[in-house]
Amino acid sequence: MLELLLFPAFIIFGLSFIKSDKAKRLLAFVSFLILIPTVKLISLPKPFHLFKDYLVVDDLNAYILFVSSIVGIGVTLALMTLDKHVKVSKNAYRRFYRFFAIFWIGLIFSILSNNMGIYWIGLELATLSTVYMIKTNHSTAAYKEAWNYMIVGAIAISLILFGIILIYASAKPILGEDAMNFNLLLAHAKEIKSSFLFELGFATVSVGMFVKMGFFPMNLWLANIERASFYPVAALFSGILESAIIIGFFRFSKIAMEINYDHLFTFVFIYTILTIFIVSFLIYRAKDFMRLFSLSGIEHMALIALFWVSGGTFAALLHFGAHAFLKPALFLSTGVLESNGKYKIAGALKGYKGKKGTIFWFLVSLFLLAIISLPPSPMFFSEIYGFGAMIKVAKSGDNLLSMMAAILILLILLSVIFYKFVEVYQSMKYEGKVYEKKVYVTELFSLIIFGISLIILITSPVMNYLRGIS
Amino acid sequence: MVDFFIGLFLASLITALFTTRLYRLLVWYSFNSLTLGVLALLIGIKIDDNAMLITGIATIVIKAIAIPYFLKSFSQKFHFIRQIQPNIKIQYAIILIPAILVFTFYLAKPITHMIANNSNYVAISISSLFLSLLLMMEHKNVAPKITGFLSMENSLFLLGITATNGMPMLVELGIFFDLLMAIVVINLLFRREEMKNA
Repeated sequence: MLELLLFPAFIIFGLSFIKSDKAKRLLAFVSFLILIPTVKLISLPKPFHLFKDYLVVDDLNAYILFVSSIVGIGVTLALMTLDKHVKVSKNAYRRFYRFFAIFWIGLIFSILSNNMGIYWIGLELATLSTVYMIKTNHSTAAYKEAWNYMIVGAIAISLILFGIILIYASAKPILGEDAMNFNLLLAHAKEIKSSFLFELGFATVSVGMFVKMGFFPMNLWLANIERASFYPVAALFSGILESAIIIGFFRFSKIAMEINYDHLFTFVFIYTILTIFIVSFLIYRAKDFMRLFSLSGIEHMALIALFWVSGGTFAALLHFGAHAFLKPALFLSTGVLESNGKYKIAGALKGYKGKKGTIFWFLVSLFLLAIISLPPSPMFFSEIYGFGAMIKVAKSGDNLLSMMAAILILLILLSVIFYKFVEVYQSMKYEGKVYEKKVYVTELFSLIIFGISLIILITSPVMNYLRGIS
Repeated sequence: MVDFFIGLFLASLITALFTTRLYRLLVWYSFNSLTLGVLALLIGIKIDDNAMLITGIATIVIKAIAIPYFLKSFSQKFHFIRQIQPNIKIQYAIILIPAILVFTFYLAKPITHMIANNSNYVAISISSLFLSLLLMMEHKNVAPKITGFLSMENSLFLLGITATNGMPMLVELGIFFDLLMAIVVINLLFRREEMKNA
């Protein structure tokens, strides 16, 4: 099964060396092969040992890998018309695919890992491969941001490794070398004697992950990078790389819940509220699509982390799935939306002719309204369930009033974001001049895939599957 | 003997912070990696751990020899600026570095009680991590920043061998692989001429 999972990545890597234009089409369609093993993994009885105790498939990582593979397919489809919207050399284009293949390998190891060390190795591999993807845009800004990503990303990933070593040191006296194993750590969490050491390790791991996701105080670095790079890179960041990071946070926080739940909740609660507070005002001031979507991504990742530690597993996973489909779809649409200039929001939804154009603006409108949780968006349901979980936690800890106040503050901050998105949508639809814009079949097809996936996400079998993940 | 090499490890990192020439910085990084490799070998022999011996040899070959060699060849190939003046003046750095050392020993005090072996080494690893971050921050040029990142990796490695008596072999080999991948990516990032020809 592992071979099947890695096979498409190896084919993409090999094909990226062929200079023929036919290979370009083939590369996009090879990515569909990713779906076969991921679908198979969902149907297998869990836990399924993919490679000894190192790679173990459970319901959680099978779901996250499946979502990521759909995003991967959508992105590769949209990549086919990248040269129609931006100036990209053929060499850079092939290299993009080459590093996408390495990225995908790192991601598989990271998501399916049952070992802290292998999780880190996969994440580092995925991070390093994205550095070159940023540089495929041959601009000075992209070159600068690629270095920024290399350095800040390296610091973040080093913090994660630092935390992993501390966690390993805390559990090694009871588990020996198996202290790297997530499942064993979870099962023996209560036996860890030096809980302070574990918590210090967890806090460091979390800060590293939060930095990578653009949480407080590193709110703008990711937005600047996504602005400087080509739009598919931003889609990969928001739809796939962040999935690999958040699954790590899920795994580590589950163990931390067993050690000291109150410490974990307070730490994550303060961190995420602070992040959403700052991000909401940054969103209010955003003047272009990329930064707007990127900052909104930070807000949603903060909400997912908050729902997860509040015990709202279902809400967090539903929100995660919806965000993983919506955000790449919006990032990929920027290739068309920004046809007449990066900072021209006014009239961005005008000028589309024919069936393809109509479907495009209709889908983008739906995605824009869905990302601000308008019903029947899956985000609407996830936020309802998530806030419900937060109240439930407060009830059990006699903190109901303070939690209600925190939720009220959160709702005010979310309404600021809501206002900005509605304002942007109105400006896109009703202001500005009309310029003719062209939409290509493959990018439309990728948006349709994301749209269908969103609908499937709120069907009862999927909802039941998510509820089953505890 | 281990104490002596730990001291050398820290001393080489502190010296790197005051260096104003790129090649000399690479020499200090190489020396820092060499002490780390020797430390891994010494601890490996002491606790009779073959995996740590392999790691020690790999550290010396990859980090003390191969990486400094590649970085030097990159600097010649891509014409790096070899005069690297730190942003923090020496008189301030002389105050700042001992402050970091004292602070990290204080910070690591609660942890050191929980680690049975080499408890003070954990404090040194954490201080090395902070000093590596300082190395990254105090330079504007990319090359010293990369050296800072590599030194940070050395500090984490030191933490791994001192706090946990070494991590599992598979993980350590994976970390080495990622480090080599980082060097490949760094090489690709330096190819600015590719941008002009595109």
